[in-house]
Amino acid sequence: MRAPFRHLLAAGLAAAALSTSAIVVAPTVAGAASKPTVATWAEAPQTPPNYIFPFMPLPYFSVSTINNFQFLMFRPLYWFGQGKTPNLNASLSLAGTPTYSNGSKTVVVNLKNYQWSNGEKVTTDDLMFWMNMLHADKDQWADYSAGTGIPDDVASITVNSPTKLTLNLKAPVNSHWFTYNELSQITPMPLAWDKTSDGAAAGSGGCAKAAYGTADAKCDAVFTYLSKASGFDPSNPKGANNSLSTYATNPLWQVVDGPWKLSKFDASGNVTFVPNAKYSGPVKPTVKQFVEVPFTTDTAEFNALVGGKIDVGFLPSANITKPTKNPFVAGPNNSRLTNYVLDPIYSWSINYFPYNFQSTGDSGNAGKIFSQLYFRQAFQSLVNQTAYIQKIWKNYGIPTYGPVPTYPPNSFASSFEKSNPYPYSVTKAKALLTSHGWKVVPNGTSTCVRPGSANNQCGKGIPAGAKLDFNLEYATGGTALAQLMNVEKSSWAQAGINITLRGASFNTVLGHAVPCTAGQSCDWELENWGGGWVFAPDYYPTGEAIFQTGAGSNSGSYSSAAADHLITASTKGNVALTSYENFLAKDLPAVYQPNPATSLTEIRKGLKGVTPQSPLFSITPEAWRF
Amino acid sequence: MLGYIVRRTLQAIVVILGVTLIVFLLGQLIPGGQARAALGPKATTLQLARFNHLNGYDQPLWVQYWHYILGMLKGDFGYSYKNNQGVWELIVERLPKTITLVGASTVLALVIAIPLGMAQAIRRNKPFDYVMTAFSFILYAMPAFLIGELLILLFSFTLNWLPSQPPTDASAWAVFTNPMAFLLPVVSLAALTIASFSRYMRSSVLDTVAEDYIRTARAKGASPGRILWGHAMRNALLPIITLIGLSLPAIVGGALIIEDVFNYPGMGLLTVQAASNDDIPLILGTTLVATIATVVGSLLADVLYAAADPRIRLGGD
Repeated sequence: MRAPFRHLLAAGLAAAALSTSAIVVAPTVAGAASKPTVATWAEAPQTPPNYIFPFMPLPYFSVSTINNFQFLMFRPLYWFGQGKTPNLNASLSLAGTPTYSNGSKTVVVNLKNYQWSNGEKVTTDDLMFWMNMLHADKDQWADYSAGTGIPDDVASITVNSPTKLTLNLKAPVNSHWFTYNELSQITPMPLAWDKTSDGAAAGSGGCAKAAYGTADAKCDAVFTYLSKASGFDPSNPKGANNSLSTYATNPLWQVVDGPWKLSKFDASGNVTFVPNAKYSGPVKPTVKQFVEVPFTTDTAEFNALVGGKIDVGFLPSANITKPTKNPFVAGPNNSRLTNYVLDPIYSWSINYFPYNFQSTGDSGNAGKIFSQLYFRQAFQSLVNQTAYIQKIWKNYGIPTYGPVPTYPPNSFASSFEKSNPYPYSVTKAKALLTSHGWKVVPNGTSTCVRPGSANNQCGKGIPAGAKLDFNLEYATGGTALAQLMNVEKSSWAQAGINITLRGASFNTVLGHAVPCTAGQSCDWELENWGGGWVFAPDYYPTGEAIFQTGAGSNSGSYSSAAADHLITASTKGNVALTSYENFLAKDLPAVYQPNPATSLTEIRKGLKGVTPQSPLFSITPEAWRF
Repeated sequence: MLGYIVRRTLQAIVVILGVTLIVFLLGQLIPGGQARAALGPKATTLQLARFNHLNGYDQPLWVQYWHYILGMLKGDFGYSYKNNQGVWELIVERLPKTITLVGASTVLALVIAIPLGMAQAIRRNKPFDYVMTAFSFILYAMPAFLIGELLILLFSFTLNWLPSQPPTDASAWAVFTNPMAFLLPVVSLAALTIASFSRYMRSSVLDTVAEDYIRTARAKGASPGRILWGHAMRNALLPIITLIGLSLPAIVGGALIIEDVFNYPGMGLLTVQAASNDDIPLILGTTLVATIATVVGSLLADVLYAAADPRIRLGGD
């Protein structure tokens, strides 16, 4: 009886053995003796690019689609990111620095000598193509803000010549704001796209060469055609046409003014670029292919790094083994990545989470307590940002002290904000509460014992017995934010501020953190989605979107006449940001939080030109040299 | 048998409709709705309202559900903004990948587990049985990601024999461009299944060889091989058939961890991605696939059970 079993077992195990015995060694791109001709770059997990037409609706508006994909082929009018700064990069821009005159109501743009890959020059017609489409389909443009900036602020446009164009504005603007937040949105489009069907002649759409705002219907038809070719049907948004598979073969998208042309693309995120032989910019590609590689998770990406399969990737935070002494300089690399050099990158952003100033939580007391500046000062004084950065992110992080990023290096951050107006101090926090009528119970719940509006009382509308007891919902999914919330909870408890934490999905937190509508119950108190605010593509870090009264993304309904005045002055008038910035650094419209490094980039040894990395995440593989 | 299958299919349609309704209604509970999920934190109230209007999300729920069902009947399973692709196209892209992974690993597991379980049963309480039992328990207790990582460490990084990841092309058949790269994920997934299948097989064989008809066969002078192959094995396989049928839903979620570790974008990851993005059309689509797989799996198990055991009659046939 035993023999057949032995044979069966042998057969089974042999099958398994057979399947593992035939082995191959996968070729590595950079493993060859001669200089590699292909550069590979790791996409962030599960965020492949998914839209090719630069004039896109909001659902497709992402770094992976714009900065890591479209910009390689279709250059924006103005390129931002100069070294490690977010500043205007004159060298990589298609136009010279704009000039402002007539009390900042007139803006002149002078194009440089760029050309499309089909041999045509990049001219003002290509700019007008964008502006006319924006006039016709502004609601479809992701970055459109009703009543502010382009196109609503534009009275007329004069085409002076094929290289010079004048925008006449309805009212004066802050030149920095208009360049960094409005002109930054424009991407010239080739005449080859100005049509409404595949077989039509270039320019037959009638949008590019029309006078400003006179061809809305024609531009709309062109927009529909180009959007469909990119996968989105404006007339049937829920209808999928699956154009992604045609991106690399559709002749439309082969007309580029950037350094790269698309040669392969699939919906999983496998993207291959080849050099645009007619690229007229300052730095030409030297590698024959640039390949973007998709990853399902951090783990998979890390394995690819360990195996040496990619040239530029990122170190997942879980794989940081040793802290850095200086957050701006890489510390020791993971010991398994000996063939790579580490380089941290910080986004052009601030990190914060909102108080709900209109909260009806805690019998309506929460919103009233948050409205007291002394409370916000005490709350902020208990946030030990530098300690949390060291403990949770191994020192790869920077603190947020106000509404303007203090790093990457920039000319906007003031010395006052950088000085940290509210350094960590439990003593000060307790004193602030005690001196305003609260009975402080460390590790318990402090209560209001002196109600009233006087300087030494709890504040307007806060009754005796009101408690410092709040709910804070935060986005789960990453361990770092959960850790941060727990250490902050412990810190707040030292002054008797009791925080009840609740985890929820990112979208749930976003869904809850919306400005309250008058007359409706709105009981959320503190919501932390973990991302703060990234200033892109509105690179000038003004607060009209997040801290102005009534702004759509002013989640906590912060409202201050002084802040509104300063915001308007820094967008409409030529007033520097400093006053706005210093005011909001003092007034604490939100809880400022530590801002971890956005990416710890791993660069294969011997690969030059990857650094300095842009804080706006635009990549320039044309500058990479093996 | 045919009548039974028809009745079960009709029941399945009701189950599928019920599941889609539940998921559809649960999707409405997302704070901010699908608009916030698709447009992100920077969307203004105006943009959210416009999105809802364009997509019909401002219509009554029953109208939205009715449109979904009508669309489904026409083969339109909706659109995923996050992927800029149709839900059906995404499923068609990912499903064959997971079927290939789960199918290959199941076949490999069966080829090893059945003889292994039988051998253990025959050598019950012998050193071979003890060693294999210990080995099975170790595999069974190991998290999937650990097996995957260990195999990668050994075969990809230390020995440098096998790629650590299969091709990631969107094409379902990309895996055949480099089949060896597919080996580690298949072996990882199979290792988990081998442990459970072999334990079931061992136990089932032990039960079967104790049956009267086996003793009768022995008494009649049947050879050990004939007893094993002709009488014991077919009956011992019944629990395995049930297990295989019930493991069909694994084509949606079962291979998730392995897909994760090996950078293999299949149905498991698509499902998780849909859930984490609150991508309701995609959640509905993947749930539909899981529901169909569950219904088909249990039906298949019943039919195969009846085919393997003539004593069993389905549905009064």
